[in-house]
Amino acid sequence: MSPLARHRRLSRIWSSRPGWRGLLSTVNHTDVGRMFLVTAFFYFAVGGILAMLIRAQLATPHSAFAGPEIYSQLFTMHGTIMMFLFAIPAIEGLAIYLLPKMLGTRDLAYPRLGTYGYWCYFFGGGMLLVSLLLGIAPDGGWFLYPPLSGRIHSPGINVDVWLLGITFVEISAICAAVEFVVSILKYRAPGMSLAHMPVFAWYMLVTSLMILTGFPPLILGSILLELERAFGLPFFQVELGGDALLWQHLFWLFGHPEVYIIFLPAAGVISTILPVMAGTTLLGYRFVVAAAVALAILSFGLWVHHMFTTGIPHMGLAFFSAASTLVAVPTAVQVFAWIGTLWKGRPRLRLPMLHILGFFATFVIGGLTGVMVAIVPFDWQVHDTAFVTAHLHYVLFGGFVFPLLAALYYWLPLASGRRRYFRLGEVAFALIFGGFHLTFLAMHVVGLMGQRRRISTYAPEDGWTAINLVSSVGGFVLAFGLAMVLLEVVLQVRARRRAPRNPWSAGTLEWAMAMPPPAYNFASLPQVASREPLWDDATLPARLARGEGYLGAPVHGWRETLTVDVASGAPEHHVVLPGNSHLPLLLAAVTGLFFLALLLKLYWLAPLAVAGVAGLGWWWVWSRGWRQDLGPQQVGRGLSLPNVAEADRGPGWWGSAFLLVADATLFGALLFGYAFLWTVAPGWPPPAFIAPSALALGVAPVGAVLALVGTLAAVRANGAGRSPEGGLLLALAGLAGLALGLGTMVAEAPPATGHAYGATLLVMGAYGLFHVAVAVLVLAFLVARHRAGYLSPRRRAELAIAPLWAGYAGAATLLILLAAYGPGVAS
Amino acid sequence: MSDLARILVAPLAWLAAFSAVYGLSGLLCAGVGPSGTVLGWPARRVVLAAAFLAVVLMQGALLRLLYSARYGAPPGFTRTVSRVGGWVGLVASLWTLFPTLTTSACG
Repeated sequence: MSPLARHRRLSRIWSSRPGWRGLLSTVNHTDVGRMFLVTAFFYFAVGGILAMLIRAQLATPHSAFAGPEIYSQLFTMHGTIMMFLFAIPAIEGLAIYLLPKMLGTRDLAYPRLGTYGYWCYFFGGGMLLVSLLLGIAPDGGWFLYPPLSGRIHSPGINVDVWLLGITFVEISAICAAVEFVVSILKYRAPGMSLAHMPVFAWYMLVTSLMILTGFPPLILGSILLELERAFGLPFFQVELGGDALLWQHLFWLFGHPEVYIIFLPAAGVISTILPVMAGTTLLGYRFVVAAAVALAILSFGLWVHHMFTTGIPHMGLAFFSAASTLVAVPTAVQVFAWIGTLWKGRPRLRLPMLHILGFFATFVIGGLTGVMVAIVPFDWQVHDTAFVTAHLHYVLFGGFVFPLLAALYYWLPLASGRRRYFRLGEVAFALIFGGFHLTFLAMHVVGLMGQRRRISTYAPEDGWTAINLVSSVGGFVLAFGLAMVLLEVVLQVRARRRAPRNPWSAGTLEWAMAMPPPAYNFASLPQVASREPLWDDATLPARLARGEGYLGAPVHGWRETLTVDVASGAPEHHVVLPGNSHLPLLLAAVTGLFFLALLLKLYWLAPLAVAGVAGLGWWWVWSRGWRQDLGPQQVGRGLSLPNVAEADRGPGWWGSAFLLVADATLFGALLFGYAFLWTVAPGWPPPAFIAPSALALGVAPVGAVLALVGTLAAVRANGAGRSPEGGLLLALAGLAGLALGLGTMVAEAPPATGHAYGATLLVMGAYGLFHVAVAVLVLAFLVARHRAGYLSPRRRAELAIAPLWAGYAGAATLLILLAAYGPGVAS
Repeated sequence: MSDLARILVAPLAWLAAFSAVYGLSGLLCAGVGPSGTVLGWPARRVVLAAAFLAVVLMQGALLRLLYSARYGAPPGFTRTVSRVGGWVGLVASLWTLFPTLTTSACG
């Protein structure tokens, strides 16, 4: 087959449908990544306009530009949009677009899941944007502290928009994180061991694990606050056994790792681009990876440093102050590795490099002021002042926006196939860099002079007038620079000057394909032996185009790729990915209906939406799989591999396992909240703890054992050629026992609106019952799949997920009953 | 996956221990657990110091395992990264939990 014939055939298989309608059904990572990035930059522009309105308001004292109500919406939506609708989705978009190309594969592990995530982001962001246009946008600050955000002080719909809209958007982050982790671990080019992975993939692996463990506490907090607002469950009301500080813990358990979730991918961009600009390899690759891992985990021990002024005992303050200073060490390791890389190479001062230098200057200042606010007495002085606002902008703009702009200019030739037309970028950089420092250096000063955050106006006698005016002028200069970047990008994409192949002489695999990339990425998949395959073999792109790699002979019209062993990168299985589908869009729309029903208090609609999600989910999974054994598949280079449906652990198992990591984190946060209220909230203990129930404590452990043993027996029976249905039915009986135990506990619990204790028991019980229902759905699905002929002793991958979900439901139920009845036993 | 486990184990153990000791200090300050003195030292301080010592010993043991021929990684990338992770766990435990010995527990 000639390269041109191969290209045409692969393009027919992998492309989306033509025209704008194709965007509604595409699941290809290149399309979805672009959609994420365009939408994220749209929100960057919206957030930027809000920032300009804030600066216009603060430019002069006693400003009448916006009243306090509107001003509160402006700064709340500025922070919310920049954090949730720009930064995280931009990371997702960049990674969705780049990762398969860098990893030497054709798509991500779950193309439809990533697309579903995009539509959740699209609809969830739309909810927030519409609220802004209607003047009912969130107005309680981007961290929405109760009691201000409680029903008494914020009776309107504004806070509900935030809680439900952001939770909806967070679904996309969780989907993307699961997809990234499984893709990076399993969907790489053959031979790409952990040691040969591009450093950006390491950063994204670490970041994705952080999203799976960092986002669930906020999702839980949002659920609890919405339950309090909608149904009066008093988790944060002190007079009814709640505690407003619980929200701060849950929020910052998410909020501080969030900073590193934003920074680490940007650091991955720096670690990728900087060595190319210096014409050398990254100095200390192993130590940079270790520093990224250390930074990620240490960042989970810092959350209380946002709460230094809440009256925490000295020892607690000292723990988190020490951890906050320690985190500077792995950050510095990376910075020194980058400086060392520049030192050993021959740096070229091209446009991406300018933004990297801008990153260095800005981020280091932000890091140093971070160490300042990590010191408790200093933090007490500057807490809730403009100094902290300035610090966080130095960290986030310096640590994220400059690297993102470097990434934009570095990879735009790849994405567009065009080279720069006008030389606007250098001028834009000067305006951005100068404007930024003018704005936020001034804000440091005015913060030290006592200007508080979020104030809508001030008096001339405060002495802040000149500095605020300087800050506002700087803000508009910055905005002008960013507008020039947008203009240059549009010109580059529209211009007809083709860029040369691999214009930066980079070594990573994304440059081993045509520009712009075809829908299938690689005509055949490469065999990799180092981190810079293009530096090893300059003829690699041509050889791949000639089909000399794996899967170079497309058959059956399948979207084929490979999975590999996690550590060694040895090829393991042949995979057929799903094609274009409207299902992700449809599922996201029905998911959105659920959130909309809660927002508009149309509670009768919510169960219908849940049933719709379950039904579409069933259809989603049912449409995949095989009714006959495929046997070994020829994948090229003389190798044949079994299909992934015939693996012990297929993609479904890996996805379920990492989704359960996020789920378990949410459950852990719920147990933490219960323990926190019990030990810290002033209204505890409650009037009475519930007495242990012999029925619940008798039937639930038996149910947990049956659920696990039944599913394991089903896996074993299927492997031996017998029917798995007996084991699955045994497990269903076990799940019924779990439901009985949980139902008994919920029935015995005190009223949920009377005290936070009853509310917590209700939520824990609902959590357990929800997981029992999910496990029932999984087992019923597998029974149906067996009857329809989708399972066989070889095609066993689907069945492997049953023990995961049934076992998790059993373990969660036992822990819930222990937590519910434990205090009654103790007292 | 065992390579990833080697890389992550020590920092994750720090995170678990750090959270546990913070939780323990919260429980002690809430009046749960021993009160009074032990050999002239406040019982709360003794409990927290014992927890600190246990965490440091655990991290030391983990580091030793990561350096051992049986449980450590073979020479190469994973060995370096996992050993650095082991040192991160130990140093982080010493640095962040040292206040159990030096600051007032519930003031």
